[in-house]
Amino acid sequence: MSFLSWQFPFFLSVFVLLYWRLPHRWRLWFLLLGSYTFYGFWDVRFLALVMTTTVVDYLCALGLAGEKCRPLPVLALVFLPLGWLLTLALTRPHLGISPGMLAAAGLATVLFWGGYTVLWRLPEPTRRRGFLLLSLVFCLAILGFFKYCNFFLESTAAALTWLGLQPDWPTLQIILPVGISFYTFQSLGYVIDVYRRQGPVCRDLLVFAVFDAYFPQMVAGPIERGRTLIPQLSSPRQFQAADLHEGLVRILVGFFKKVYVADNCALLANYVFAPATPLNAPWALLGGLAFAFQIYGDFSGYTDIARGSAKLLGVELVHNFHFPYLARNPSDFWSRWHISLSSWFRDYVYISLGGNRGTAGQTARNLLVTMLLAGLWHGAAWTFVIWGAYHGVLLLLYRFGPLTWLNRKDYASLPASLLACTLMFSLTVIGWAMFRSPTLGHFWSWLMALGNWETVTLPWRSSLWWLLLHVAPLLALQGLTWNRADETKLLDLPWPARGVLYVVLIVLVVSSTAQDQEFIYFQF
Amino acid sequence: MTRRLFADFALALALLLAAELAVRLFLPHDVSGRFSYGYDQEAGFVESGETVHLVRAGGRRFHPQTFSRRRPPDTVRIMVVGDSVPRGPNLGAAYPGQLQEILRAQGIKAEVINLAIPGFGVRRSQLIVKKILAYEPSLVIVHVNDSNEYEDEREYRRSQEFQGWHPRHWLMKSYILARAYEIKTEKLQWRLLPEKIRQQNMASDADAELQAGLDENLHRLWQQRVWEITQQTVALIRARAVDVILVTQASWQPTGPGQGHLHDHGLEALGQSLAGPGVQIVAMTKVFADLKPRSDYFADSAHLTPAGHQRLAAALAAVIQERGQRTSQGANASRGSPP
Repeated sequence: MSFLSWQFPFFLSVFVLLYWRLPHRWRLWFLLLGSYTFYGFWDVRFLALVMTTTVVDYLCALGLAGEKCRPLPVLALVFLPLGWLLTLALTRPHLGISPGMLAAAGLATVLFWGGYTVLWRLPEPTRRRGFLLLSLVFCLAILGFFKYCNFFLESTAAALTWLGLQPDWPTLQIILPVGISFYTFQSLGYVIDVYRRQGPVCRDLLVFAVFDAYFPQMVAGPIERGRTLIPQLSSPRQFQAADLHEGLVRILVGFFKKVYVADNCALLANYVFAPATPLNAPWALLGGLAFAFQIYGDFSGYTDIARGSAKLLGVELVHNFHFPYLARNPSDFWSRWHISLSSWFRDYVYISLGGNRGTAGQTARNLLVTMLLAGLWHGAAWTFVIWGAYHGVLLLLYRFGPLTWLNRKDYASLPASLLACTLMFSLTVIGWAMFRSPTLGHFWSWLMALGNWETVTLPWRSSLWWLLLHVAPLLALQGLTWNRADETKLLDLPWPARGVLYVVLIVLVVSSTAQDQEFIYFQF
Repeated sequence: MTRRLFADFALALALLLAAELAVRLFLPHDVSGRFSYGYDQEAGFVESGETVHLVRAGGRRFHPQTFSRRRPPDTVRIMVVGDSVPRGPNLGAAYPGQLQEILRAQGIKAEVINLAIPGFGVRRSQLIVKKILAYEPSLVIVHVNDSNEYEDEREYRRSQEFQGWHPRHWLMKSYILARAYEIKTEKLQWRLLPEKIRQQNMASDADAELQAGLDENLHRLWQQRVWEITQQTVALIRARAVDVILVTQASWQPTGPGQGHLHDHGLEALGQSLAGPGVQIVAMTKVFADLKPRSDYFADSAHLTPAGHQRLAAALAAVIQERGQRTSQGANASRGSPP
């Protein structure tokens, strides 16, 4: 179910109403049921993957804590995803669950069961590493197969062709399960925390299953940490009117960002980044700016709706955006953009690689590797990898290169601050062009167009007005909260001003011109 | 505490409700008209006392006209229903206006009311017919065209969105929100975007219409609907013993540079099948049969130039004369019956 669907407001309203009337334990069951229903609206088959991630990481985390479960419940748990697929195959034949799929699921089940059983026979330090490895291998194998399999096959084929060979293998028809990168990373983060003894182990399977599939943030983040979300889920919560209020405001702001800002900016960005579009500098700039605000409105809008929905249920999700286009340097940008992902990569990749504890060269290597992987996380395409590398290089330039002077948290003067912001925003827009371009060749054309001031047939001035019409209200809204910790924190305004503001936002959302478009980050 | 906390939402709700109430109290005609999209029989007709004003209907405009509810004595009241072709560029230049001039020049006290609205297909035209039968026409001229069925269908869907009780349409029960939604569906801001970008996003109505027009099955359905609903419309008018003239549309189809022919998609055959007592046919294929340069009479493939309107009006006047529809007859005839 998408936040944009007409069903969502009804689903959420009914869910919230019933949720607060239930006793704590029932609420958890209700949350799990609601989350699986929410996810099942896209494709019920992929619930098997969610269950697999849950079962694998739950058992591995217990293994890391040295807590061995009885064999029968473990066996039942391990076979749960396969059982779900079998049930669907028998009752819903139109879903096309083939014997091959069942065999693959069965093989994975047996392999995990075997691995899990063997690990308990190993001594303590080896066993702990083994459980971590088992979780990493299983979760990343699922992610790798569904998200990257074709990318690697195609890239290998291209490389072999370049070497003069003629590989002949087919491309697999693989559907990318919605939100797989998000819930996989969330679950892995929890296991790594338990391994590092930085987070508590969750012994309650129900709580852990809800943590893995928590519907407000399951499909596009924020990527939560076990140590922040699990305690909130497991402890009984009281209904607070303030939570309801704050949640509603967040949802309203989120819809405004998505429907009014992002979807309308998308019209220009889609035109500029279409393969056959002739570009000159004004159009290239318009496209770059339009995409910058599209992706921000789209993703931060989703996050606001997610955080708002969770708040209605009494749960505080982490901040994911903090005025990213006010960043003054790359490091600052990544502490403001998709904060939950950048901190995930910092904590679990960059620091694992050694962080900045080694020589400058090692730090540079760690930064580059981390950013390459962060780029690849976004999608199976070379443009994403190059985008990650680009940001890695920017981080290096600001850290060790000629832009070091801009890598400061405080700026003495306003002009210096403005200069730093403008430069970083320009570099970010170039990065977004890379990210949005369908191919590297198209990005190159976009880049070259920046130097082309000749006229192209399509006039651009009215489109600039279009862009301003849809970005200016966002900037005005953010002007009200720019010095707050939370972008959606409108509560400091006088209530009459808020009331009028809500009316404006509602009318802008309802009257938004663009066609409804799905969230960009669903594809990641 | 809670009450104070939610004062902002209460204010927002109050503002929306106040706007809603104000509009419904002070602009009742607009409320009923604008969102009916031609599926509300009352849309576009504003009655005050004995006078009827024609205003807009569903975002489309009638030519503003005023007439009395009851037909004046000694007057032949002719009402023309159809799409952009009979509506014409303005009241005087369109063939209903020209027809009025010709009849009056012949000494007939005629009142020709142009009720045509651009884009109206047979379904919406029929609604207008249902409404105007109460205004005692002496004769109804129905301009039959089959090129508006896509738009009729689309407008029908929109009217359902506004009128339906499916949960996804609940917001449309509010005038204010529905008006805002109309801005979205009518895409008033779209003029800022170049045509190419609109087309790329498949949000141009014309583009979508063109695509739908390529579907042969859909075409067949539309044609069937034109036949069925036109039959019903004629029956409705005849049930009130009012005469009907069906003007069947013809389109200019070019076959080469400066060459082409008129095509009516079988509409003349439809008209002939309905001809009979009180029902006459004026086929544009016949009126413009000796067409030489297209530009003399056709502004584009379907719409007429002022000369084209004049020619069609003359053909209609001749038919009316043949039937002996004179002022005196009209005045002597009982109300609601044919002159």
